[in-house]
Amino acid sequence: MNKNNYQKILSLLLLFTASLSMTFAQDVLVKGKVSEDNGNLIYGVNVTQKGSSKGTSTNDKGEYSITVKKGVTITFSYIGFKPKDVVVGNNTTIDVSLSPDAAVLNEVVVTALGVSREKRALQYAVTEVAGENFTKARVNNLGNALSGRVAGVNVTSPSTGPGGSSRVIIRGNKTLGGANQPLYVIDGVPMDNSQQGTAGLWGGADQGDGLSSLNPDDIESITVLKGANAAALYGSRGGNGVINITTKKGTKRKGLGIEFASNYVAEKIIDQNETQHIYGQGNYINGVATAPTTIQQSSDWGLQGWGPKMDGRQVIGVDGVQRPYTDAGNNFTRFYNTGSAATNSIAFTGGNGQQNFRLSLADLRSSGILPNSGFDRTNVSVSTDSKFGKKLTLTGKILYSKEKAKNRPNVSDSPGNANESVWRLPANINIEDTKGDPDKPGAIPASFSPATLAFGKRAVGNELLSNYSDFWGSNAYWSSYQYNNTSKRDRVTASAQLKYDITDFLFATGRVSTDTYYTKQESLTPQGTGYNGGGNINEYFQLNSENNIDGMLGYHDNFGKISVSSFVGANQQRGKFERISASGSGFSVPFFHALNVSNNRNFGYGFSESGINSVYGSAEVGYDNYFFLTATARKDWFSILNPASNSILYPSIGGSFVFTDAFRTKMPDWFTFGKLRASWAQVGLTGNLGAYQTTQPYGLNSATHLGINMASFANKGTIANPLLSPALSTEIEFGADLKFFNGKLGLDIGVYNQTTTDDILNATISQASGFQSTSVNVGKMQNKGVEILLSGSPIRTNDFEWDVSLNFAKNNNKVISLIEGSTELVFEESRTRTTYIKHIVGNQYGTITGVTQKMINGQPVFNAEGLPVRNDNYETIGSSVASFTGGINNNFSYKGFNLSFLIDFKVGGNIHSGTNQRLDQWGFSQNSLQGRDGEAPLSISGVNEKGEPLKLTLTPNQARNYWNALGDRNAAAYIYSASFAKIRQLTFGYNLPSKTVSKTPFQAIGFSIVARNLAVLWKKIPNIDPESTYSFNGGAQGLEYFALPATRNIGLNLNVTF
Amino acid sequence: MKKLIIGVFSALLLTTGGCDTDALHNLNINPQAPNTIDMNFLMTSAQLGTASGGSRGDNRFIDWRTNMGVCAHAIQQLANTGGGIASGDKYIDNFEANAAPWEFLYNDVLQNLAEIIRQTGKGGFEEGRRVNMRQAARILRAYNFQRLTDYYGNIPYDEAIKGVSDGLFFPKYTPQSSIYADLLKEVSEATTALSTSAPDEGFAAADLFYGGDITKWKKFGNSLLLRMAMRVSNVDVAKANQYVTQAIAGGLMTQVSDMARIKMATGPSQWTNQNGISRAFLAGDGGQPSPLSATLVNWLKTKNDPRLMIYSGGIGGKDKVAANQKGLPNGLDATTLQTFLGKAGTNPMEEFSIVNPKLLDIDDDYVFMNYSEVELLWAEAAERKIGGATDAAGHYAKGVKAALQQWSNFDASLSVSNASADNYVTANPYKGLESIGEQMWAAKFMNWWEAWADWRRTGFPKLVPVNYPNNITNGTIPRKLRVPTGEVASNGANFNAGGTLPNELTTRVWWDGGK
Repeated sequence: MNKNNYQKILSLLLLFTASLSMTFAQDVLVKGKVSEDNGNLIYGVNVTQKGSSKGTSTNDKGEYSITVKKGVTITFSYIGFKPKDVVVGNNTTIDVSLSPDAAVLNEVVVTALGVSREKRALQYAVTEVAGENFTKARVNNLGNALSGRVAGVNVTSPSTGPGGSSRVIIRGNKTLGGANQPLYVIDGVPMDNSQQGTAGLWGGADQGDGLSSLNPDDIESITVLKGANAAALYGSRGGNGVINITTKKGTKRKGLGIEFASNYVAEKIIDQNETQHIYGQGNYINGVATAPTTIQQSSDWGLQGWGPKMDGRQVIGVDGVQRPYTDAGNNFTRFYNTGSAATNSIAFTGGNGQQNFRLSLADLRSSGILPNSGFDRTNVSVSTDSKFGKKLTLTGKILYSKEKAKNRPNVSDSPGNANESVWRLPANINIEDTKGDPDKPGAIPASFSPATLAFGKRAVGNELLSNYSDFWGSNAYWSSYQYNNTSKRDRVTASAQLKYDITDFLFATGRVSTDTYYTKQESLTPQGTGYNGGGNINEYFQLNSENNIDGMLGYHDNFGKISVSSFVGANQQRGKFERISASGSGFSVPFFHALNVSNNRNFGYGFSESGINSVYGSAEVGYDNYFFLTATARKDWFSILNPASNSILYPSIGGSFVFTDAFRTKMPDWFTFGKLRASWAQVGLTGNLGAYQTTQPYGLNSATHLGINMASFANKGTIANPLLSPALSTEIEFGADLKFFNGKLGLDIGVYNQTTTDDILNATISQASGFQSTSVNVGKMQNKGVEILLSGSPIRTNDFEWDVSLNFAKNNNKVISLIEGSTELVFEESRTRTTYIKHIVGNQYGTITGVTQKMINGQPVFNAEGLPVRNDNYETIGSSVASFTGGINNNFSYKGFNLSFLIDFKVGGNIHSGTNQRLDQWGFSQNSLQGRDGEAPLSISGVNEKGEPLKLTLTPNQARNYWNALGDRNAAAYIYSASFAKIRQLTFGYNLPSKTVSKTPFQAIGFSIVARNLAVLWKKIPNIDPESTYSFNGGAQGLEYFALPATRNIGLNLNVTF
Repeated sequence: MKKLIIGVFSALLLTTGGCDTDALHNLNINPQAPNTIDMNFLMTSAQLGTASGGSRGDNRFIDWRTNMGVCAHAIQQLANTGGGIASGDKYIDNFEANAAPWEFLYNDVLQNLAEIIRQTGKGGFEEGRRVNMRQAARILRAYNFQRLTDYYGNIPYDEAIKGVSDGLFFPKYTPQSSIYADLLKEVSEATTALSTSAPDEGFAAADLFYGGDITKWKKFGNSLLLRMAMRVSNVDVAKANQYVTQAIAGGLMTQVSDMARIKMATGPSQWTNQNGISRAFLAGDGGQPSPLSATLVNWLKTKNDPRLMIYSGGIGGKDKVAANQKGLPNGLDATTLQTFLGKAGTNPMEEFSIVNPKLLDIDDDYVFMNYSEVELLWAEAAERKIGGATDAAGHYAKGVKAALQQWSNFDASLSVSNASADNYVTANPYKGLESIGEQMWAAKFMNWWEAWADWRRTGFPKLVPVNYPNNITNGTIPRKLRVPTGEVASNGANFNAGGTLPNELTTRVWWDGGK
């Protein structure tokens, strides 16, 4: 008998035995009680038969009963306790006692510099978010997926389309200058998350940040280090907190593991416009609302909704075509597409414990709601770790991403902002009638009659404008199809690390890493554009690179009840930026838009380098695993500061006390775990300071004049300051981490008081100083706040589980002082030019100030025509930052089904809505109905400029002038609360039972449906989404001007594991 | 073990000194920007900047928004049926028109001039050298500050442009009376200090105005002094007397070719090298659709003025018969224009006389001061017995003749012969102040900010204001610009303490009879 035959016979025998036992197995009723080790009975313990879905749970007396077959294994499990397996033998009464699961109470988290520490020893607040939250959510930018999940983390995810940025602020704004985003670290490698460009007062597009490069499938978990205390070891870079991203890696397993995930998300606008659809295009002529009767009138009034009531008469368009004067319906749903995003990813993992690897590939293809826009991304990542002998471990990681963003939407100021153009159409105009040339959307087609073309000096192929006397109101199709705004980016984040265990208590690590990306950006204003007939093109290539070298020596040992952990290390960081740009204006070959056929060509070159050298150390002493004291120190030397004072030392100290362990015998049993923590730390902030800002060198102007060289200061806008020092953030934090009923209920509460002194601020100064801004160390700002995370598992039966967590945070920010001699600093201006974001001593960061109506003795002042009279000064009219943020997470599981939803909310901020102001001016808003002929009259009541009482009922013409002037004379009329609550995310998933899966070649199969931004539950602003801010610049928070509409995403996930 | 840890810590502490390396410091030396530079480069930049911000890389902005948008329309040389871009047509508000000179002059040309004056002055790296360039910089500085104060009234002056030198970020305001006192002092001192015997040191090659011709610079300095002295003549007779005397004694411009101007170029950059006024008119580039004003066209026609067909490029650029020329009345919009013409569907740029394209080549000269102005101011001084000036009629005749003949540098075809110029003077003889005022107004075509200042001071020509619904001046022609919102917001305390208030278009500046 050869070996093969022997095996076959053995298998047959086994099978026979098994079937015999099945045949003869009998149903028995098993009963018993489940208690804790100390004898307390436990309610709600899951009692299941291993390998089947059969199960029950204990009642309030800890009793259970279950009918099973003899010989099967029953598993007793309960949150916070180690599960226990018992084989059913002859005894049908099985009482078990469960021991607490130390794992619940001894969670390990990744802290600063990638050091894993027990949570109980931490003297500060950290929050971990599991990777599945990002894969499920399927947002292109990971930052947005953090929204509402972590107490004290305020995510602003403006509507700028696929590939857009997200603004993440932890525990409030710490610096007045706007560089308030945290440091992102991927597996120990700092990642450059710089904004690549953002819209401002004069428009522009969000050019994305670093986070949009990451593949969510690669993420194991994200840890948020919130305070200075958690981030002190990062020195100057950790001042705004740190977001530590741990990517997945290979582990020891049998064979090759394959995980496949496929996902499709559809995106539609949430149409929040409440415009009027009663009055159409037109203007007031001699006080009478008049609809256009000539092509010229149609052009002149193309963007005005001050016509008469739409009554079906024929009106002429700019194209000379007569159309009925009736409501044309909803242009938003007509113009915006259904966006889509399809992601496919596959990961291979394997390893034998000595050599492990993970390789993943992912591909994202998406198209945006704005026609002709999209974002594609390919990710490849490789992670390996190898052990050589018992002492040496080598880890290597490479993350590569290739992105292409097509036509990032222009927002804010009009030319190129298609969104404004959609809003600007009167109710009787169907946007599709402005599409023009079908082959060249937005352009005048050759089919236009010569008579029409003669007017306004238009030419076939030029932009088809609705208003030829106002070149600035662009055509939405032209903006989206003919403008080009494309960026491509290749990024590599790679690291190699050696760890050597010198002895069992001493180890050394060394790491080199790089985060390098190349960007190619092209933006085109095409030939034939209304306001820029010649057209122009800008292109650049840009290199951003950051390299780090780290070395660390660590020590850990126990001396009886005393444990000691410490490490010392050094870091060298180098950053580099280089850009070669070229621009051309005026194209020589019609509609061939390339740099080499432009008439005027210019080039530019940008370069900067900077570096930080650092040493750091940390020492933690523990006593009996319930009392810990940790001290850290880091010293940074900066290249960007004057060598005379270019270094700063950042210390931190803190302790944690697990009182439930210290006084276990005196604590009630339900009080499972209790820890108090306290810490104090100082970290630096240099985020607002770039290279070369300590001297004021000259620069040659890019153009000569008549061959003569010209020069001025290299930086004409900003005054250099050789005396700058890093800002200092000092934070004291107290907190408690409490768990009750074996972890069924948890409460984590933290309070902090953070102060920034010597802030480095690029302050807007009077231009009469010769400059627009200066970098100075200024003033003092304070953030005080509280963060609460409440988590519970109210229901936990065998089949059904309900987990809920509630987090909220309140941050009070106060500007205490600014530049000497100044109590206000201008930060940002609105497009309406009536509103400035300022920092004002005594107020919060980012006060919204604006032109307001003059008041005399508390009475508003109007002129004889009923128009508001304005004040000369800028009054405080709002605050741009929400002070109260939070979220509610619910997760329900029933057998293989899972339903979870996240509601997030922000309360307390304001927004100045340029959109609402313009809608009133143009006669499109509901407001603008007031006072029209045929509507209720508009009355004003107040005083005249002499302070005498004035009451007026305005004529329709006066009312129209009132709506036209209101925003320019009283910006406060367009200040709204930006508070909202949204159903941010809802997922419904199903995992096939393992029984079913086992019949397939797969190990696991799961489906889920995901919805993002499902509904706005509560908001206080008409027409627009409360998250419609156009800029990521900290200053422009609170300003809004024709953003891309908010969207609702619904998607389907498929996850398969082989 | 403890020893090891202590050892490692102390090793690290010892190496910390080694972290502060030269290699680290050297990273902050900008390899693309020098710490010293030839000051002549800044001078050329400042001169181009004086031509409406060319060196700031947006040469059409001030001209488009303010010189044309406000001034040319307010004094009724251009007219426009549109809205915001020509806010001076109907006296409505336009943020950019108010802000443009403030944002462009302080932050560009004045910054460069202040740096030249600083580095050629005490403690600067060019101390004691480049004498003539320094004096030219002082004259240009005064020229640009005069423009600013004429627009805004009280402005930061004594404490202005001291951000780099003194760390003054929020300068206080100086009253216009004190500003003028200092401008007059500066121009007179600098003009005197200009020296034909001083070494050139590269100034001739850098000087876009006069190619280093110091004699011409002195003429320009004295002529500017005359302009400034006459500007304050209604409110400070003593100063006017003192400086008019000095300007005449020092030597004024004597011929058309003495004019202060710079040559513009087609490239390399349209935003830098081209003439901003021309660019602002360019169709297809957001061009200004402003025809000539009826006020100007009618005035030229009644005088049978040869300048009619110098300024006008014909009706819609086509009909070039002088008698057919027609200006657009100010204060009309698209709707009232239809009523005015009695027909619909019209484009004003087709129906009325437009600006002669020959004046609007993108490389045409940018003119700051003409010889004609000097003679006309001299005539006014004589008429008003200021500074010992005499022979009003003689200077008037020279000024008017020069005003007709000063356009040939734009295009040879725009020259006016001596005979026809003399005939014109004979036909339009000297008739006192009104004749000077009207001729000055007509002479300053394209130099509209100056024409607006003259009109505010002299009241000539007698313009009929328009009264467009929704205007913000109660139907009066604006008397100043509003200080821009950015300045009021960022430097509010100083503005409120020392600015010209109220911050409205109707408020008069000091030399216009205000505070």
